[in-house]
Amino acid sequence: MTLSSSSGGPDAAGARAAAISVASRARASGWFRSQTARRLSFGYLLLAPAVLYVLLLVGAPFVFSLYLSLSDANVGDPVATFVGLGNFQAALESDVFYIALQNSIVFTVVGAIFKGLLGTTLAFLLLQPFWGRKFVRGLVVIPFTLPISISVLSWKWMYDSQFSVINWFLSRIGLVGSYGSPDWPVWLGQPHLALAACIIVNVWRTFPFSAIVLLAGFTSVPPEILDAARVDGTSFMQRFRFVVVPMIAPILLIGFLFDTVFTLSDLSIVYLLTQGGPANATKILPVLAYQVGIQAGALGRGAAISLFLFPLLMPLMILLLRNLRRREY
Amino acid sequence: MAGPRTHRQKEIRRHLWIYGLITPYIIIAVFPIYWMAITAFKQDPDLYRMDVFPLWFHLAPTWKHFSYLFTDTNYGAWIINTMVIAAWVAVITLLAAVPAGYALARLRIPGAENLGIAIFMTYLVPAIILFLPLARVVSMLGLQDSWWALVLVYPTITIPFCTWLLMGFFKTVPVEMEEAARVDGCGYLGALVRVVLPVSIPGILTAVIFAFTLSMQDFLYGLAFVAPGDQKPVTVGVPTELIRGDVFFWGSLMAAALMVGLPVAILYNFFLDRFIQGITGGAGK
Repeated sequence: MTLSSSSGGPDAAGARAAAISVASRARASGWFRSQTARRLSFGYLLLAPAVLYVLLLVGAPFVFSLYLSLSDANVGDPVATFVGLGNFQAALESDVFYIALQNSIVFTVVGAIFKGLLGTTLAFLLLQPFWGRKFVRGLVVIPFTLPISISVLSWKWMYDSQFSVINWFLSRIGLVGSYGSPDWPVWLGQPHLALAACIIVNVWRTFPFSAIVLLAGFTSVPPEILDAARVDGTSFMQRFRFVVVPMIAPILLIGFLFDTVFTLSDLSIVYLLTQGGPANATKILPVLAYQVGIQAGALGRGAAISLFLFPLLMPLMILLLRNLRRREY
Repeated sequence: MAGPRTHRQKEIRRHLWIYGLITPYIIIAVFPIYWMAITAFKQDPDLYRMDVFPLWFHLAPTWKHFSYLFTDTNYGAWIINTMVIAAWVAVITLLAAVPAGYALARLRIPGAENLGIAIFMTYLVPAIILFLPLARVVSMLGLQDSWWALVLVYPTITIPFCTWLLMGFFKTVPVEMEEAARVDGCGYLGALVRVVLPVSIPGILTAVIFAFTLSMQDFLYGLAFVAPGDQKPVTVGVPTELIRGDVFFWGSLMAAALMVGLPVAILYNFFLDRFIQGITGGAGK
């Protein structure tokens, strides 16, 4: 008995231990599962307000704008009828649409070139250590931090047809004629000058952004990696080409895409400076969409015009998405 | 003896080069603000003349343009509208973005990264595509012609951005603190409210600043949704209401622009790095 009990003891103990461990494991996994369920349901609850807000006021309006663009919806008449692709066709058949499309592209491309030049050179200067650098940086980013509709007003005054301070200086140094002469530039009244004037404001506003993004890129390259490359006997150009450029390229791309999306879809500069004039010289797609959709009240037409921006923006957004995902760590 | 001096001379020369090269950028960046400021303080006869150097006063500076704004226009009302709108937008943004950012950063929701990116991408859907359908939404809710319309639509800009920003912020809060709180018997909500939120005040404040500065960058929604003169936010009221017919009163226009622009620019300046970090996914930390 004692023997058997002593021999059965460990077995029984083992069995008991096994039984306990199975039971506790079962209990533990049940506890774990309920814990996970609780965590997830809490998580979805926390996410709900943001997701709902975005779905209701960005997602739904976007779908609604697709619907509007296929209807003859008007401000005065709440009952809209389906007109198929009529609004898009009407846009494609109007001359002003092509002018606006072309202006939009010129505005964005020319602006991007100058922002790139000014931004890159400024970033290289700000990369140098010097006394008062922080203060200088604070000054040069002011254009980007001012509310846009506010700073455009200052430019409108600088472009004044008579009291333009720009012209005052240009005429003093003899680059343009005196007031009243044909050589006196009327910035917002002459077609080519007006488009240039709008681009200048856009460049002025966002070149600090380009510079700061570039700076952020440069400072994100860990010095150890550069040191390691130096130890390996690489030249400055090699390090720049094979270490720095690949590391900062995604950041630059994100900055560039951001700026392009905002430049393509911004209405405030042109609207406040010229309203698209003179003679459509500065008409860009956002201004046209606003004028047709709100001022003329043709919601369907307006929605169709603004949706033409989408194929222009879509590839940029996809690129941006891929970059953001790659940058996640 | 000669060593440090040549080094010092080299440093001075380098500084001169840098200052010389960077001065044009500073002038380009700041000149419109300077022009705004000097215009705001000039008397009208000093303003509209072409015979003298325009960048300085030739008659005594005046406060007339500033007082005109507060006595003869809705400027005071616009400032108040803007503040109240910003406060509401900040509240709504925090109520939505703080929980969402925390859930995405911490609660191991399947696909949290992609969901976060998806929410952030809506920040990029331009207002120009959304404003016509939103005009319908606004009028269905009876909010047309009051600034409440803007309280409704500005969070579509701020919630995506602030959710993304706070998601990044919550990831930096040590996870051990929360676990300790839960071991001590806090539930998930308890851990969030009692432990995570108090240490996240800087992140939350940053989100409030962006709720304010990003709504100040809007022009289209304010222009399209709010028509009555006394309901406009200041960023729309100044450019649309201060021009009577075709006559521009540049002195008061620039005074109005200066009083709004300067504080916003200074405030935004301090948080610019956070903005850049936000959109580039953490560069330059």
